[in-house]
Amino acid sequence: MAEIGHGGKEIKERILEPAEAKKRIQGLKQYPIRSQLANEVIDIAYGFFSPLEGFMGKADVESVCKKMRLKDGKTVWSIPIVFDMSKEEIAEYGVKPGASLLLTYTGNPMAIFEIEEVYEYDKKSLAKDVYGTDEAKHPGCARTYAYKDKFVGGKITLVNRPKINEPFTPYFLPPLELRRIFKEKGWKRIVAHQTRNVPHTGHEWLMKGAWFQTYGELPMDKPYVGVLVNAIIGEKRKGDYIDEAIILTQDELRKSGYFGDHNHLTSLTFWDMRYAGPREAVFHAALRTNLGLTHHMFGRDHAGVGTYYGAYDAHRLLESLKGEINIVPVYSENWLYCPHCGEITSESLCNHKKEWQKFSGTLIRSIVQDGVKPPRLIFRPEVFDLVLECAEKYGFGSPFVEEEYLKKRTPVFVMPPLA
Amino acid sequence: MSEKYPINLWVNEERYEKLQKAGLAAMCQEMLAGLKCIQVYCNDAQKDKILKVFPTAKFDSATTKSIELLPRQVKDKIFDLVVQKQSIDIMDDFLKNY
Repeated sequence: MAEIGHGGKEIKERILEPAEAKKRIQGLKQYPIRSQLANEVIDIAYGFFSPLEGFMGKADVESVCKKMRLKDGKTVWSIPIVFDMSKEEIAEYGVKPGASLLLTYTGNPMAIFEIEEVYEYDKKSLAKDVYGTDEAKHPGCARTYAYKDKFVGGKITLVNRPKINEPFTPYFLPPLELRRIFKEKGWKRIVAHQTRNVPHTGHEWLMKGAWFQTYGELPMDKPYVGVLVNAIIGEKRKGDYIDEAIILTQDELRKSGYFGDHNHLTSLTFWDMRYAGPREAVFHAALRTNLGLTHHMFGRDHAGVGTYYGAYDAHRLLESLKGEINIVPVYSENWLYCPHCGEITSESLCNHKKEWQKFSGTLIRSIVQDGVKPPRLIFRPEVFDLVLECAEKYGFGSPFVEEEYLKKRTPVFVMPPLA
Repeated sequence: MSEKYPINLWVNEERYEKLQKAGLAAMCQEMLAGLKCIQVYCNDAQKDKILKVFPTAKFDSATTKSIELLPRQVKDKIFDLVVQKQSIDIMDDFLKNY
């Protein structure tokens, strides 16, 4: 049976078999790509970005920027997926409509790029439309301004499957694989938890709250609802938790029994966050629809940064798109510690407002950095121990990204030589 | 009245021992289900200076309204000043050196 993804299109992997790949890459010029583009090549080829079949042409970019739709005018899409090249590279590699390049990554063949269009697009206008600001200090704008001066649109076909390195291997679950797992588990509804963090109990209760909200009227005779933690793995900034700690601690909540196999699964998506707030929320809705999810959690200031977006801007934008996106938004308030209740509770439930003690991922990082083990009501001891273990095993002594980690870490994936 | 922004000095065993020796253990408040903490406060100008001088520091504007992620050594210095002055009103003194 066809697996239908975002925009009502069938999800089809764009991956060649090795023998066919070897034939097709003969004589193609090789162009090495950076990690952002390699991440997006994987996302396109495996169907994370369905219905996209490649990098966007100008009409798609313009339509996405101005109308938040692909050029068909119907399919909601909120963030341009572009491939940038310099004028000099375009000349050197003979990039023009009808030509093809062999994209390489970590020194080995990755994908065929069938070029359909070479164009320019005003970066300031793109930034303003997507991020609601053109300030260079917004990380999404900064990324846009760092693009080279030309964009290239065209289809992508993977010629070689990436080798996902440990400890990430079990968490790379592309859309068709995930959908198969959901069927095996018998889940009728699956709610997405978007994360780039090591979980504290506020996160844990966000997930548990969303699980209750998603369960709704379904019978309890069997586990029909699961939470998918979909960790975003991409460019790291100093001070972030290291990727290994994020993915392993999220899964630890299941392994240590705070959830179980019957209601919890962890996977990853390769994506360099744009921090586009409301537009990134819409992008997440499309992405998770492709993963086979029926519901998606959206908290306050989803995927925002600084003070660029209001706490509920993303919720309002998603509401305005009702009927056009095929995933049910599950909205949530923050969870916090109430000393009066003696438990983690929600702003929407508890009325001991004067006693509330709010905590955030940043606050917990600060506690860990001070060498203090937080109480189990705030941070699970198994998670804390694993954070320290990851620091030793993967983080060169620190659970947070430092210069040495950026230079020496084992990459999450590499392209192996073509078999 | 101008806003005040806390820096949370989380009290680990080593810090608690120093406080006990100085007879200052009562300075700690209990937060988040049993964590010991000393809060020192910054005004607007001090907050801005802290964020400028220590680029890893972050003002958690969304949730806690506190200044977080100061390097451990910096917080150790602030903590030592609290113990030395037996007061949490030390940010002017601390920032003199920066």
